[in-house]
Amino acid sequence: MATKQEKQHILIAGCIIGLISAGLVFLGNPANMGFCIACFLRDTSGALGLHSAAAVQYIRPEIIGLVLGSLLIAVAGKEFQAKGGSSPVTRFFLGFFVMIGCLMFLGCPFRMILRLAGGDLNALFGLAGFIAGILAGVFFLNKGYSLKRTYKLPACEGMAFPVMEAALLVLLAAAPAFIHFTEAGGGPGGSHAAILVSLAAGLIVGILAQRTRLCMVGGIRDMVLFKESRLLLGFIAIFAMALIGNLVLSAVTGGTYFKLGMAGQAVSHTDGLWNFLGMLLAGYGCVLLGGCPLRQLILAGEGNTDSAITVIGLMVGAAFCHNFGLASSGEGPTANGKIAVIIGIVVVTAIACLNTFRKEES
Amino acid sequence: MTYITTFYSHFGAIRYKKLCEKSQIPAQVMPVPRDLSSSCGTCVSSQGNYIMPESPALEEIEQIVEKTESGYRLLYRAANS
Repeated sequence: MATKQEKQHILIAGCIIGLISAGLVFLGNPANMGFCIACFLRDTSGALGLHSAAAVQYIRPEIIGLVLGSLLIAVAGKEFQAKGGSSPVTRFFLGFFVMIGCLMFLGCPFRMILRLAGGDLNALFGLAGFIAGILAGVFFLNKGYSLKRTYKLPACEGMAFPVMEAALLVLLAAAPAFIHFTEAGGGPGGSHAAILVSLAAGLIVGILAQRTRLCMVGGIRDMVLFKESRLLLGFIAIFAMALIGNLVLSAVTGGTYFKLGMAGQAVSHTDGLWNFLGMLLAGYGCVLLGGCPLRQLILAGEGNTDSAITVIGLMVGAAFCHNFGLASSGEGPTANGKIAVIIGIVVVTAIACLNTFRKEES
Repeated sequence: MTYITTFYSHFGAIRYKKLCEKSQIPAQVMPVPRDLSSSCGTCVSSQGNYIMPESPALEEIEQIVEKTESGYRLLYRAANS
């Protein structure tokens, strides 16, 4: 099991990430959204014109930093390896439906923790759903679920996604007319820290997450499978330090960085059932993918093309959410979103069954 | 001597552990150690010996290493991995 040193490393990393997350809100990111992989990929999709929701369009430098930070530390540690071929199309669709679940809840597992640290009790329903989804996924893992092995690929294949992220950084800095940016005050996409601050935050978190293998899904999954608490400690450390950061910021600045309750929370709704089901879908899909959206970005930075395809699936899912009215808002979930989440749970279950019980035929 | 076997799937690890137990080899399923890999999959730590199973169980194995004082010694790695 994990060594004491490994546990110390992930605790320290979690504390740093929690503080950075609270700090990013102070420096301009939306409330309880220092980091949100789902929201930030959704904003990036909007900036590229994949959807036209004017309130959520911005190339988020945090995403670029996460991928490039992982790439840099993986290369430095001789851990960069281009690989793929493990059911990429299936992973695309799992990523697609994970995003639908996340945008029903209004946040990825990372933001779920940050919402809790900001006092948003709606996230408790999300957490319950997330755990239920992980348990559903673990059931299939124990029954034989597998998306088959990966294969070594040419280095250029593994570099393609990080290079795309670097290209997005150029587009962000150059801000050509064909890239869409939410105007200041025009919605969550218009609230952001300075580019270099966000990029640095992403780089630091990317490096820490690569070194510690931090994963929001892995924490609960490993507790269930092995009674191993290492990854869960990272999860708890992020929550604790973001909570402390929010309380300190509230006390020092007089701003609202911590607000305990359910009603009137930032970028959040109070429909408990659909918060639960949204994160159930996200947790379920993430276990079958082998990691949460943050982990997929980190693996993509290490050269894993299956994770890169998963991230593209997340981005396409985000575009569908806003093009077809699937994403929730502060007013609550939409009818289309509810149907999409139900379809998502059915499709993810079908993927789980097909890759568990029929695998001897292949 | 401790041997660590890593897999492409969690189920591969469970199946391997059962094979070890059938052969009277003490084995434990656990997360892959960080100093061995950046992957967050499942491995089996076996004491005293390891198994090189027949297909199809072999296809699930990514690598087998022996734990040494200075790190790990590679004993088997799947082709093209």
